[in-house]
Amino acid sequence: MKKKIQLTLNGKKTILEAPAHRLLLDLLRDEIGLTGTKEGCGTGDCGACTVFLNGKPVNSCLILSGELDGAELVTIEGLKIGPELHPIQKAFIQDGGAQCGYCTPGMLMMAKALLDENPNPTEEEIRFALSGNLCRCTGYAKIIQAVQDAAKEIRQAARR
Amino acid sequence: MAKAEKFSVVGQRVQRVDGFDKVTGESKYIADIILPGMLLGKILRSPYPHARILRIDTSKAEHLRGVRAVVTAEDTLKRPWGAFFADQYILSVGKARYVGEEVAAVAAVDLDVAEEALALIDVEWEPLPAVFDAEEAMKAGAPLVHDDKKRNIAVTLDIERGNIQRAFAESDIIVEDTFQSAPQWHCSIETIGSVAEYASSGKYTIYMNSQTLFNARYRIAAALGVPETDIRIIQSAVGGGFGGKSCDDNNALVAAILARKAGKPVKVINSREEEFLAGCRPRVFMKIDVKLGFKKDGRIRAKHIRIIADNGAYSAKAPAITGVAAMRHDTCYKYSDVKTQAYLVYTNKIPTGAFRGFGNPSAEWAVEQAIDIGAHELGIDPMEIARINAAESGYVSPHGNRVTSCELKQCLDMTEKMMDWKKKRADKKPNTGLGLACTVHVSGKRHFGDYDGSSATIKINEDGKALILSGEGEIGQGVHTAMCQIAAEELGVRVEDVEISKADTDLTTFCLGAFASRLTYISGNAVKNAASNVKQQLFQQASEMLEANADDLISHGGRIFVKGAEGKFVTVADAARARLFRHNGAPIVGSGSFDADSVLPDKTRFGNESGAYNYGVQAAQVEVDRETGQVKVLQYVIASDCGTVIYPIGAEGQVEGGFAQGIGYALIEGLQFDEGRPVNPNFSDYRIPSMRDLPPLTHAFADSYEPTGPFGAKGLGELNMDPTAAVISNAIFDAVGVRIKTLPITPEKVLKALTEKG
Ligand code: FES
Ligand code: FES
Repeated sequence: MKKKIQLTLNGKKTILEAPAHRLLLDLLRDEIGLTGTKEGCGTGDCGACTVFLNGKPVNSCLILSGELDGAELVTIEGLKIGPELHPIQKAFIQDGGAQCGYCTPGMLMMAKALLDENPNPTEEEIRFALSGNLCRCTGYAKIIQAVQDAAKEIRQAARR
Repeated sequence: MAKAEKFSVVGQRVQRVDGFDKVTGESKYIADIILPGMLLGKILRSPYPHARILRIDTSKAEHLRGVRAVVTAEDTLKRPWGAFFADQYILSVGKARYVGEEVAAVAAVDLDVAEEALALIDVEWEPLPAVFDAEEAMKAGAPLVHDDKKRNIAVTLDIERGNIQRAFAESDIIVEDTFQSAPQWHCSIETIGSVAEYASSGKYTIYMNSQTLFNARYRIAAALGVPETDIRIIQSAVGGGFGGKSCDDNNALVAAILARKAGKPVKVINSREEEFLAGCRPRVFMKIDVKLGFKKDGRIRAKHIRIIADNGAYSAKAPAITGVAAMRHDTCYKYSDVKTQAYLVYTNKIPTGAFRGFGNPSAEWAVEQAIDIGAHELGIDPMEIARINAAESGYVSPHGNRVTSCELKQCLDMTEKMMDWKKKRADKKPNTGLGLACTVHVSGKRHFGDYDGSSATIKINEDGKALILSGEGEIGQGVHTAMCQIAAEELGVRVEDVEISKADTDLTTFCLGAFASRLTYISGNAVKNAASNVKQQLFQQASEMLEANADDLISHGGRIFVKGAEGKFVTVADAARARLFRHNGAPIVGSGSFDADSVLPDKTRFGNESGAYNYGVQAAQVEVDRETGQVKVLQYVIASDCGTVIYPIGAEGQVEGGFAQGIGYALIEGLQFDEGRPVNPNFSDYRIPSMRDLPPLTHAFADSYEPTGPFGAKGLGELNMDPTAAVISNAIFDAVGVRIKTLPITPEKVLKALTEKG
């Protein structure tokens, strides 16, 4: 049984139909064609599928489409600011925060959530906030560096 | 001796060439590939560790609405295949030998239908006695995994170099102990997957997230019984490999036969559970007896190692891995007399295989602890024991490995300094301790036939930009960036003016892929040679335009000029256009190849296995909580000798990432089997290190130059996880006097050992 769902997706009003049991992750990837959000486990354990739902980061592999009517979603495809990369994206490139890049979309969304709440996180706070996002490649050092550099850049931009 | 050179692109902190696509989510990984009319495939897997298939009835599944193909072994040639031994089938023939083995598969319009169809396949099983432990499996009367493998033994090694008996007789002390390593899963966050397409002309096009495309092509062609040219493999973006995506599993083969039968493209992606059960081949786990003889002054006089390695149900790369565990470490220290005995044994479990380190982490887990035991018994600082025995440039191991560059001693000095070793040792605090271990790795390994090479092509576009065509696998490690830097350095252009293609077996020339820490060294040399060929063509053209002798020309920043007369130049673009846009012109395109100066080891496994050897030292300071058994790593340091560092951000990432996997292996990662059935095949039970699990790390690269490497570079990728488990265990011993001999080092084990010690 398909259900009509009204969404704001990356700032655009969108109407689509999907079975209520379809997972948000699959809805995004298979029905809408936004493949930037990744599946790493499907069980809520890795964070690769992180998106913003009504302003909060969630594991999209755990959310059913049936819960989404009227929701506001932001995915990695909506992270750029206009044509410009978000500072956190720039910092990941500059510092080498992505190796294979598969955890990166989820990691970036979670990092944005952290910086939205706490523009000047300590290393400990970063480690705590991003500990649900697994990365098998980097050993996290360069990710932490990138989050710190992005935070600095955002704070400076705010002062400019 | 180390030799520093000045480069303009090599060694600069450039950003990775594929960084933009990765941070925007635009990189196309295997699951992101969608072809018109594509179906989704699902695999029916054996629920038994060992069982005969009496009957398979697929008729109900075939009639389900939305099902387009159902395949079993009847749709294959029933021809076994494998990297070293042909012993596994695409789909079970007659019986299944481990839980998770591929038995049948379905392609359907969506995953719901595919899964429903799997449930409709009726298999009549006859469970057979099974064997789960390698030592048990070697005993007379144990159930046979393969009927023709007596005592389940796949490989036996028994090698003595020098005179081991005399060497032990001449030793002042002898250390003897047994250590057990553990399986470890790669846990790339992206699982294995493929999208296969079949043209009725007979050609298969397979998108794979493989790290070894041409090896995959060879094996897939063999298993399907078609010429290699009938298989085209195109690499998608790869979400991590670590050895797990080197085509030792059946995923792509199942996709291929489904696509052939359905007449439509088919995508098969492993779920996380499938990845644990039957995807990547986990680290070969081993029981290792080590016996070392030392002279009083700390010199190692004799080494005897005996290994029983668990092959699982099929062989994958374990035969080579067992050899590495048995012998590689003898290139780390100066040995004269060594004996190695190893048995690789079939069991009814998931096939084990290649994981970063390839046998080294298991061997070093054992040998580096035995050396530490010796150091403590002799009352010599472990740092000194390592120094006394460390290999040097020019060393030839008892197995014939020839070391052309080695900065192990420099790495020891660096480690000592970074850790403040002497001071920390002098004011040792209760329950804290220091541990150390050394490591060696290859830069490529000659074992897939008598070739350890790579080839590459570079063409210059009309706008002066260079495009490298390479079939070597970028899997996240950053090799594409390193190759662009090497080409830019050789061509004398900016790194921004070099691009690199995707790997595609139809469009790129032959190379072996990402394994054995070989790419920077081997494909780096191939790319450098291709660039030098292209540069000759450019210089020849420029010499006409500049009316100068080609030998007097140099290039820098995309300009070609006579040395010392920078004002008068032609650009690379000018030269490329002038050469092409004329009658009888030609594009500027050149190829290069490199085959390492190594030899295929003989029957006794003697022979220089690699063109270059990379070295490293790691040290930890830990604190052990006597109440809980919890081990806290207070500080960790790593010094690596990888020759010239080409791509610093990438190289640092390799050290940091390898270390994280080493810490996981040492302290966290473990998977329980119950009757051959993994009981925790998911990320909540099989935990890999998160950001909060990693201790502070300080690391640095030795000043080093490998004479046979591209601009002095050699391998690095695996070095960083090889010794970590031993380092932690040695530090625990130093802290509280107990030695943990099985992995992972859990608080329970530490607590138990402390209680036993009293
Ligand atoms: S895919 Fe959703 S948490 Fe792993
Ligand atoms: S960069 Fe590969 S998983 Fe994080």
